[in-house]
Amino acid sequence: MSERYYIGKAHWLSILHGWSDKYQIVASQAFGKEFFFMPVDESKFNTIIYDQIRTVQPLKSFLLPALEEVTKDQIDEHKPNLFLGVKACDLHSLSIIDKAFGGDFSDPGYKQRRNNSVIVSADCSDPRPSCFCTQVDEKPYAMSGFDLNLSKIWDGLIVEVGSKRGKQLLEGHDKALKEVVKEEAETQAKIRHETVRRVQANNIKYKFADQYQSLFKEYWDSSLWVKHSETCVECGACNHACPTCHCYFLDDVTRKVFTKLRGWDSCHYAGYAVTAGGGTPRPRLSERFRNRYLCKFSYLPANYSQLGCTGCGRCIDACQGKIDMRVLLSELNQGVEE
Amino acid sequence: MKTPANPFRPIPATLEAVIPETDGIKSFIIRPEIPFDFICGQFAELTLPGVGEAPFAMASPSTKPDTLKFTIQKAGYMTEKLHALTPGELLGVRGPYGNGFAIENYFGKKLLLVIGGVGFPPAMALLHTAIANKDKLKSIHMCYGARSPGDIVYKDAIAELRENIQLDITVDNADDTWEGPVGVVTTLLKKDEIDPHTTIAVVIGPPIMMKFATLRLLELDFKPKDIVLSMERKMYCGIGQCRHCMIDHYFICKDGPVFTYDQLQESPDIWE
Repeated sequence: MSERYYIGKAHWLSILHGWSDKYQIVASQAFGKEFFFMPVDESKFNTIIYDQIRTVQPLKSFLLPALEEVTKDQIDEHKPNLFLGVKACDLHSLSIIDKAFGGDFSDPGYKQRRNNSVIVSADCSDPRPSCFCTQVDEKPYAMSGFDLNLSKIWDGLIVEVGSKRGKQLLEGHDKALKEVVKEEAETQAKIRHETVRRVQANNIKYKFADQYQSLFKEYWDSSLWVKHSETCVECGACNHACPTCHCYFLDDVTRKVFTKLRGWDSCHYAGYAVTAGGGTPRPRLSERFRNRYLCKFSYLPANYSQLGCTGCGRCIDACQGKIDMRVLLSELNQGVEE
Repeated sequence: MKTPANPFRPIPATLEAVIPETDGIKSFIIRPEIPFDFICGQFAELTLPGVGEAPFAMASPSTKPDTLKFTIQKAGYMTEKLHALTPGELLGVRGPYGNGFAIENYFGKKLLLVIGGVGFPPAMALLHTAIANKDKLKSIHMCYGARSPGDIVYKDAIAELRENIQLDITVDNADDTWEGPVGVVTTLLKKDEIDPHTTIAVVIGPPIMMKFATLRLLELDFKPKDIVLSMERKMYCGIGQCRHCMIDHYFICKDGPVFTYDQLQESPDIWE
């Protein structure tokens, strides 16, 4: 059993105030019915909610900004970020981004931001109809990859230590750390179980395949790709909302120095893979649309030994064309073709 | 070469010479501030400050890391700007990237190059290395196809190359000056002249040419693992991050650009 404690609300707030000397606290804030990661001022610490659904924007927005100058020396101007209330679906996406940007050619900007950031995850107990983490072998709570993980129990939190840095964050707060009693542990297990059940119930009609590599080959030219991309307007929102999508373009901006901007790209854009001669491997929308599925369920697993989808459902919520990945994946699996 | 701390920052390089090759093709000789050690078949990201960046394979011998030669066809915005440059201008170079040709895998075999159009520049880098290792190869034979006699690059180098290798050239469309064969490059691949069991075939050129050359080699009974392809795709980073160049799960920039056909044959869209 990993190290874990129960922390009551008053103690927790004082811990947060302590952290804010060293870190910028970035936590989930409500805007209408949605939540966004925002830097939170000390005066608002008592309004932070921990157990709600993932934020609208993926965590990558902070670690891999949508537009960034990549040729400059990285300078620390601000306090490092402490992300508070990161959901498991975002947390698991980070291991893909880590592998992509920390490989043979380590990306200095990403590396610095990632190393400086503290990740305090929190269990989700409020899944939406678009959530499907359980369908891609994920859980609505994190088991690893965090510095600390929070499970909201009544008015307090069960805090689980996941790293040396997490342990250090709790140093000096001995008085706040209570042993987790049986009722608290049982309540945590019950909430987790109930959330899993709710996500599963939301997805009862979708039947995913165990693996898609061979299905993609079989259905390479299927009319399913055309059918499901009919309402796609190529806006790229699914890519940009996705916590694991990380395609980028580079752009040279000035004549004097070698200055390159990096920006998020989208494989749905017609120009994405167009070469100087005008050729492209994916001239048709349905082919570009197909590419995202191939990438998530075939290429990324081959590259990084992990599914490229964490079931966060952001692509479903973001889609102007009401395209639901789960429907297509189920139809592929069940051989439904028109 | 040491990997730079920031892989996006190019090495400044001076343009030393511009050599016209054909109507739309020029060679550029550049001198990077620090030597650019590479192996043949690797490529560089060439930056034109304020304009853009694109990947090009080195055409010069890998034994000369101080000056690099790139032979570039005018095809789009970036290459149009490159073609307008005059010596002395500042360029940037990132790399070298990609795996390059594993020449030692070809030792003891006959080396057959099947080359189309501007596939000649990367082939030239390979030829430099192959000729330097001539005693370890049974033979070197290059079949080169150009659209017309006017589209043949490196005309000045052909006589010298022929002292070392068998070089057959064909053109799609002949003119009055042309005395050689006419037809696509695959017409040079003759069954009675090529032994598929002792030969490694390297194919470089436009996608459609690479497709038909590969099909012809398979028809000649080449094994997929003995067909070597130098692939091309749209690229930005060159370092296996941005995912623009992918064919199936392969990064052309990092896992390639040199592949054997057996690696790619299951992928449905490799010739697009």
